[in-house]
Amino acid sequence: MKKGIWEDFDGYDSINEEIKASHITASKRAFELDFADQYIKRLHPDRLALKIADIIQETPTTKTFRLVSEDNELPPFQAGQYLSLLIEVQGIRTSRPYSISSQPNQIGYYDITVKQVKNGLVSTFLLNHVNIGDSLTVSGPQGNFYFNPLVHDENMICIAGGSGITPFMSMIREIVDRGLPRTLTLFYGNRYADDIIFHEQLTHISDHFERFRYIPVIEKASQDYQGQCGLITADLIKEVAGASEKATFFLCGPQGMYDFCLPQIEHLGIPRKKIRKELYGPPLDICKDPGWPKEIERDRLFSVSVKNGQTISAPAASPLLVSLEKGGVVPPSICRSGECSMCRVKILSGKVFQPADTPVRKSDSQYGYVHSCVSYPLEDLEILL
Amino acid sequence: MAKYDAIVIGAGNGGLTASTALAQKGLNVLLLERHNIPGGCATSFCRGRFEFEIALHQLSGLGTTEMPGPLRMDLDSLGVMQDLEFVEISDLYSVQNPDGFHITLKPNKEQILDELKNAFPHEKEAIDGFFDLVYQYANDMIGAFIFRDPEASREKYPNLYRYAFKPAQSVIDDFFTDPLLKAVLSVYWGYLGVSTDQMAFAYLAMILFQYIVFKPFHVKGGSQALSNTILNKFLSHGGTVRFNCSAERILTEGGTVQGVVTGQGDVVRSDYIVSNASPMVTYGQLIGEEQIPEKTITEVKSRQLSTSAFTMFVGFDCNPEDIGIHESTNFLMVNTDMTINNHDRMRRLDIDDELMVLSCYDVSDPEFSPEGACQTNIVTLKYGEPWLRLPPQQYLDVKYRCAEKMLQRVQAIYPDIRAHIEEIEVGTPLTHMRYLGHPLGAIYGFEQQTKNSLFFQPGRFTPIKGLYFAGCWTGDGGFEPTLRSGMAAARSITKQIDNKNV
Repeated sequence: MKKGIWEDFDGYDSINEEIKASHITASKRAFELDFADQYIKRLHPDRLALKIADIIQETPTTKTFRLVSEDNELPPFQAGQYLSLLIEVQGIRTSRPYSISSQPNQIGYYDITVKQVKNGLVSTFLLNHVNIGDSLTVSGPQGNFYFNPLVHDENMICIAGGSGITPFMSMIREIVDRGLPRTLTLFYGNRYADDIIFHEQLTHISDHFERFRYIPVIEKASQDYQGQCGLITADLIKEVAGASEKATFFLCGPQGMYDFCLPQIEHLGIPRKKIRKELYGPPLDICKDPGWPKEIERDRLFSVSVKNGQTISAPAASPLLVSLEKGGVVPPSICRSGECSMCRVKILSGKVFQPADTPVRKSDSQYGYVHSCVSYPLEDLEILL
Repeated sequence: MAKYDAIVIGAGNGGLTASTALAQKGLNVLLLERHNIPGGCATSFCRGRFEFEIALHQLSGLGTTEMPGPLRMDLDSLGVMQDLEFVEISDLYSVQNPDGFHITLKPNKEQILDELKNAFPHEKEAIDGFFDLVYQYANDMIGAFIFRDPEASREKYPNLYRYAFKPAQSVIDDFFTDPLLKAVLSVYWGYLGVSTDQMAFAYLAMILFQYIVFKPFHVKGGSQALSNTILNKFLSHGGTVRFNCSAERILTEGGTVQGVVTGQGDVVRSDYIVSNASPMVTYGQLIGEEQIPEKTITEVKSRQLSTSAFTMFVGFDCNPEDIGIHESTNFLMVNTDMTINNHDRMRRLDIDDELMVLSCYDVSDPEFSPEGACQTNIVTLKYGEPWLRLPPQQYLDVKYRCAEKMLQRVQAIYPDIRAHIEEIEVGTPLTHMRYLGHPLGAIYGFEQQTKNSLFFQPGRFTPIKGLYFAGCWTGDGGFEPTLRSGMAAARSITKQIDNKNV
């Protein structure tokens, strides 16, 4: 081979000597890749095999499942994060995100607290057909709904609705256990008093821990109900929490709660950077979205053909991801609320409806990629997984 | 059994350009990507109303249509230029320190000279001399290597022969006495990850020259737009991509590639494979060390890995000028020592007086973030290895501690930023290990010392017939080199195929 001109550059020989020397001193051991891989898995495992160690009946329609690791230690998480449960029910392989309700200062177990969803495939299964000792597969802890010490105010005003209490339970338990210098005011909305999850524990904590205030708010209270009734309004927040300039708001609950409470909080003059909102699944009824094309009936069926794969049938008002799963096509999914982008697919032909504020990368939109968990077919589709 | 003309493992910059260049030649190509999006480093993520750029700070080598740089020529040949919109960044960089020093250099030689002489009048002649040398060196380099002068000699290219391998710091020390000026001219070491006494003058000279001549750029939609556009071109040439699908094994027989076993368990045959993964992963995990000649393994093991990075992505509820950000690229400096002494800080699980770069894309492209908002990407370099020694339970504490200190450093320059933060996310070397799959989260591949440059190392070539590398591990790190590395890998394969067909 012809000599390269660089071989005559000043300093070439000494670098060459250095390289020769480095060959002599080079490690004789195998590439140390597994150590780092294993380490990363301890922090961010793709999958965790967990066993149900205990099941706690919280309310007539809610159970807490205490999950322990079958083999290894559980990864650390931040209070407010969730697990994505990977499960097969009635032959359908799917996933569901469940916030961890136990505190992150102990990782002997994770608690997830599941409330019966009307006609819910997975919640019905979990509440009725799962027993102590059964195995469950979950993702590592996920999500961006947590107290961030870099920017959030130590005065936390939290608004929960229904099963949206679960991330707050983790936060409250951590603050109490660790004696963190935070003040947490919890407004917890439920339709009926019987629906309140963790009521006794929350009451107990608020009785004994002065930096935690607990205000259950019952929408449809009976005549003799003593507590706060109605909805969580700006006036109520102001009355209880006082001036909230130096506070960060955390919200977790169903769409209806956001629709009502967000304008209330804005009415208090709280800027958007002070408001954290947890995801809560796809819209309850996409046909009620202001942008939904009225001419498309909810039950109308479209065919969706997966490139180099099968063709399935998909109703207009079901998220594409759900229809794919029912058809046996299972793209990876985590948040199922439009945010994490795991279930991203490319629409090769046909049109889908996506709610206006879905966070899709700009160039993804440009090239027809959608988050299938919040995309709804409006025409026959061809997609690329 | 599925068979392709070529399989490309990994849709990072190098994998994307390699697969697209091959598909463009009419080859039937399979591209495997273990994540659900293409790009590797060249990606983005959404938080709230922001889409955060992961990695691109200043795209080099693009140039203009009148004076195209090497990257523009490659992207042109891939046919993707018309689908991309590039934004010229108006500043080369600013350097600021908490004592109030603030200098902004424009990507224009005359303006740089004026600005520097103005700030450092006592170094006037040295400044002229240094930039003359940078330009002379670059011209030598272009003559000898870009135009491949067959009669290159020391007499013809004296500066090339004399300075190429000389440490940058010693050249700077020859010219200047003022430590602040030396530091101002050295900050681009951060784009290479090696201290100025470990880095060849060739690198410093070429990086300065390239950015001044071809200008720094950003791309509309961020680096994800670049990745998506190249992938789209790949698909339009009939290429097959499989997301969420890793390569588990590369099958070889008698030192020749046979195909790939995918993470989904199927076997795909091909005579040609481009690996966008590191040699460590490719040889150690995908093929098996025992099948690789000992000499090659020793060579790989003798090389150090580059640094990783600690990165903070911040979305603000205001425009850049509201928080005092007026330049796109800002080096925040406390300590003027850019040698190995300062470099040692990169091994600490702490942030103190490290050099950091704060990029604000909205300064050059007001549409980058939503209206009335802007974002910054703040980076300081950290080696990955110390992070692997952290007990997992302490990881979050260390991450927040470093982030808090980084924020304090930024606040020392831009006092109002904290009150305007709407979204914030932190990436550590462990984040890079997780998403890039690079050993130790090394963002630039091998340590960018002279001994690891293409003059001394095998680059894309392997001892396995049919296997080529693309990406930062073949030579230099960063966007331009990695994008171009894939083009080179594709050229090697088409050449092989053409030779076979003769």
